[in-house]
Amino acid sequence: MKGILLEFYKIRRRKIWVIILVLLGVQCLWGLWAFRDMNEKKLSQGYMQCLYHFTVLNTIMMPMVAAITASKICDLEHKGQTFKLLMTVMPAGKLFDAKFICASMYMVAVGAAQMIFIIVLGKAAGFTEPFPPGYLFYYFVITIFVTVVILSIQQAFSLLFSNQMVSFVIGITGSFAGLFSLFLPRNIQRGILWSYYGVLMPVRMNWDSQTRIADLQYIPVDWSSFWLLTGLFAVIYFTGRRCFIRKER
Amino acid sequence: MANIITTSGLCKQYGAAMGVKDLDLSVPEGVIYGFLGPNGAGKSTTMKMILGLAKPTRGTITVFDKQVNRRNRLAILKETGSLIEALSFYAHLTGKENLKIISTLKELPDSEIDRVLKFVRLEDQKNKKAGQYSLGMKQRLGLAGALLGNPRLLILDEPTNGLDPAGIQEIRELICSLPKSFGITVMVSSHLLSEIDQMAGHIGVISKGELVFQDRLSVLHDRSESRIAIRTLDNIAAGSVLGSQGITCQEQEGYLLIPKLNDNQLAGYFMSFLKEDIGVVCIEERKKTLEDIFLELTGMVVKL
Ligand SMILES: Nc1ncnc2c1ncn2[C@@H]1O[C@H](COP(=O)(O)OP(=O)(O)OP(=O)(O)O)[C@@H](O)[C@H]1O
Ligand SMILES: [Mg+2]
Repeated sequence: MKGILLEFYKIRRRKIWVIILVLLGVQCLWGLWAFRDMNEKKLSQGYMQCLYHFTVLNTIMMPMVAAITASKICDLEHKGQTFKLLMTVMPAGKLFDAKFICASMYMVAVGAAQMIFIIVLGKAAGFTEPFPPGYLFYYFVITIFVTVVILSIQQAFSLLFSNQMVSFVIGITGSFAGLFSLFLPRNIQRGILWSYYGVLMPVRMNWDSQTRIADLQYIPVDWSSFWLLTGLFAVIYFTGRRCFIRKER
Repeated sequence: MANIITTSGLCKQYGAAMGVKDLDLSVPEGVIYGFLGPNGAGKSTTMKMILGLAKPTRGTITVFDKQVNRRNRLAILKETGSLIEALSFYAHLTGKENLKIISTLKELPDSEIDRVLKFVRLEDQKNKKAGQYSLGMKQRLGLAGALLGNPRLLILDEPTNGLDPAGIQEIRELICSLPKSFGITVMVSSHLLSEIDQMAGHIGVISKGELVFQDRLSVLHDRSESRIAIRTLDNIAAGSVLGSQGITCQEQEGYLLIPKLNDNQLAGYFMSFLKEDIGVVCIEERKKTLEDIFLELTGMVVKL
């Protein structure tokens, strides 16, 4: 607890939320653009439309948000050469956990902001689809979950390499891999961490090639992928943590 | 006197090279222990191992009579303050905020922060960002951080590195006052003997990862006694004259080196040289400085 509060103390005046807000703003504007011409059909599937488009946008934007947040929180230790100091007063593992929880809180805030945006948009645009609290909550949970898993890999690289370009390159590569994988078969997607926004998405698009009409529908939760991601998370987190603890200063 | 730090057979291997080799240090309680060695000798590596920042390849470390291992190291380090290599601080935080982070981790009251700030004379600058501090101020901030919680042991790695003479003097005075006023044992490293000479009571000299000398500083001072160098036209004959009188002498670069003698004795030997027809060319008194001894010990004497 002490460690987590200290992480927030350390990033005073670093204005991490500014860059997160900018990225979030870009994403929301982009989302709005998808709704520029609303017809009856779209309004009747309003929330599905939102969840679908936001998932695609998340695939592009959230890995960058995670990369930047992790880098901002870890870079200050490299810059100040403070590992030598901190490791004599706290265990390395605790520092790793504290940083992770601190950064995750930002991710939760971003997820919540997206949800609020969707709800406000639904009211403002007058979606005729009945409000789906369950699916919205599910969307909230998986957005945060996938982002937090990506965050754990970003944090490991940000801590292990003082050159933050390493983690940025990984973040951007991942984000492109995730986007590209949206067009690949599901089983390949499940092997790519960054495509899990799409894998766990609660909405599916049915493209009818005869009528040339895209139709959206809710699908049940893909629990097997969910547990697979949970396993991946545990492996990534504890490998990163272990490497960090073992590293000599 | 009990030892605060004892290491035995301490080794650290980097690749194929040994950064530190079979080091047996003993740092007595309540002294300033100067840890001396040229660049790259392994001072920082040793200190990092004592603090658990680097893992020893072999050997044991005992601090406060407890053998340090992964599990108990933080409990032991609770009573230790340290300053290793380049300074550690968050440039975007003020001096006070920097100290607040360490004091929170060490679970100390805020009054400790004010105490150490006062001690290193940084009270007036405490609300300035640490990134805007001068080097001397940063160094003092680091010292303040190490002093938080009034530790029993302080490990300082080249705390005066890069300071001007006035800054060095200031830090030195701060360090010197620690054992007396707070009962703190200080282990301080340096590559300058002159600096250690003005602070330490005990020294350990390390060279290429190996300990080459460890004792009271006064022992080293005794070695720096002066000698008489004589040059004659026939050093071999002169040597045997001296030998027959029971004086050991060694020849070096055309000079005979003999221990310091009183004037009467010396004059007597010259008489006997003259009797033997040995021409005396030159007599001088040679004083070995501490610096010479240091260079000799570390094998860094430059042979011209
Ligand atoms: N992380 C490392 N990886 C490889 N070699 C290292 C590492 N750290 C130190 N060394 C080597 O170990 C030796 C001792 O280094 P160390 O930093 O302890 O020297 P030092 O006595 O502190 O020197 P200085 O006075 O320059 O600070 C050096 O030869 C150095 O190259
Ligand atoms: Mg060093």
